[in-house]
Amino acid sequence: MSIEVKNLVKKFGNKTVIDNVSFKVNDKETLAIVGFSGSGKSTVLKLICGLIPKDSGEIITSEGDIAMVFQYSALFDSLDVEDNIAFALHERRDLRKKYSEEQIKEIVAQKLELVGLKGIEKLYPSELSGGMQKRVSFARAIVTEPKSILYDEPTAGLDPISSTLIEDYIVRLKEETNAASIVVTHQMSTITRTADRVIMLYNGKIVFEGTPDDMLKQDNEYTKQFVTASLDGPMKMMEE
Amino acid sequence: MRITAGISKKLTSGRIFLYNHFMGTLQKYYKQSATYKIFKGMFELFADFLDTLGKITVNGIQVIKCILKGQIDKKELIYQCSRFGVSSLPITLTIVGMTSIIITSQVALEMVKQGGGNFIGMMMSILIVREVAVIMSGFAIISMIGSSLASELATMRVTEQIDAIKVLKVDPVGYLFVPRVLSGIIMMPFVTIIAAAVGVIAGAITSDLFAGLSYMAYFDSAWLGIYMKDLWVSLLKAVFFGGTIALISCSCGYFASGGAKGVGLATTKAVVWSFVAIVIWDMIFAIAFFF
Repeated sequence: MSIEVKNLVKKFGNKTVIDNVSFKVNDKETLAIVGFSGSGKSTVLKLICGLIPKDSGEIITSEGDIAMVFQYSALFDSLDVEDNIAFALHERRDLRKKYSEEQIKEIVAQKLELVGLKGIEKLYPSELSGGMQKRVSFARAIVTEPKSILYDEPTAGLDPISSTLIEDYIVRLKEETNAASIVVTHQMSTITRTADRVIMLYNGKIVFEGTPDDMLKQDNEYTKQFVTASLDGPMKMMEE
Repeated sequence: MRITAGISKKLTSGRIFLYNHFMGTLQKYYKQSATYKIFKGMFELFADFLDTLGKITVNGIQVIKCILKGQIDKKELIYQCSRFGVSSLPITLTIVGMTSIIITSQVALEMVKQGGGNFIGMMMSILIVREVAVIMSGFAIISMIGSSLASELATMRVTEQIDAIKVLKVDPVGYLFVPRVLSGIIMMPFVTIIAAAVGVIAGAITSDLFAGLSYMAYFDSAWLGIYMKDLWVSLLKAVFFGGTIALISCSCGYFASGGAKGVGLATTKAVVWSFVAIVIWDMIFAIAFFF
């Protein structure tokens, strides 16, 4: 077991955004969390990596780092690609003394090669395309050899070909790192190409849990509406 | 007895209904009144003031802890020092120089007419070293560096860069605040010394041009007016001003929320708070050292 969430609850003011959610993700497994905008998907990721405090419930993770790939990459725009990827190695007290500058350069080159971007160390984020920025953020996320990787809408805003490339890298990173992965997404291609299991959130609750194939079978009213992108169904976009 | 109790009950429930209805209507109209809106606005402002003050204090304590533990990124500190000192110098010197010219041109001729020409240098040096150099440098640094620090951190906040720092298990206060606050503490005294020198020299040139006062007379008088205490207090003030401006600007940027509007609000807040804070510091120093 790498990530286990038990009876998780999160409220913003009077609104319950995450309502008693429980799931498990094992090592070498990718779980996709899907749902409409505002259904609490990104909040789950932020709760797991400790960016926001939970109100109740339990989050149990294996020892080791949790990495997160942000929706808009969140690269440090004042640092070049090399310094972005090596950020944790330079700034974290436990890692700073572990590696020499030469070793850090080697690690950065190795991670860049893994995401197919060899030789761009000296470029700044503003000089990269959206897809390239995303891949650099993948490299930055895996530099500390994390046990779990969280992806917040990794293919949002990318063209279909770039999306396919990113999806391939998600699968590749899972194989290379053996990490437990959670992918928050809206895109069906990302779900079918990357996920081993899928959970669907609506109004902060899990309304479906199964494999991508189960989801496509459309036995569940919620997944049926999601897959067919229909306005008719149990999910209402403008619910209070 | 039972009948009376029933009537009494009905009367009571009727009264409660009327009371609730009356209070509800009263509340509805009261909430629309200008008095309610003014008091609500004042309360919100006061709550925001306490919230910001608390956040700045907490960050200040964390910065001191990091400095005492020696958690200082030297490369980043050097970069921030050059930004704080070098970038702000032209505008600071311009403002202090101009202020000195304005004051001297207003008073020099009058003082010469009244027979107090020999005191112009003394008056200007005391004024510039004790107050003008440090407070005008502070204002220039707030507008140039403080606003830039606040908008930089606010942009990092709204683009999730600060979240990325946290996820990578790097202490954001140590990485973002410490070099910036330390650079303010280190560089502000240097900026103040140079600004004071420029201010005194500008006063001498202006006295010569407007009142025909010789440089010798001006500098003799200026030398007599200045004590070491003035200089040390001014430098101590600069240390406090520099640290306060950097700390307030970083805190306001760090806790920004929302998008572009949030960045703008954070920058405005940083500038306003810094202005008020250095004036308060200045008053405290004036009372503590010269009263």
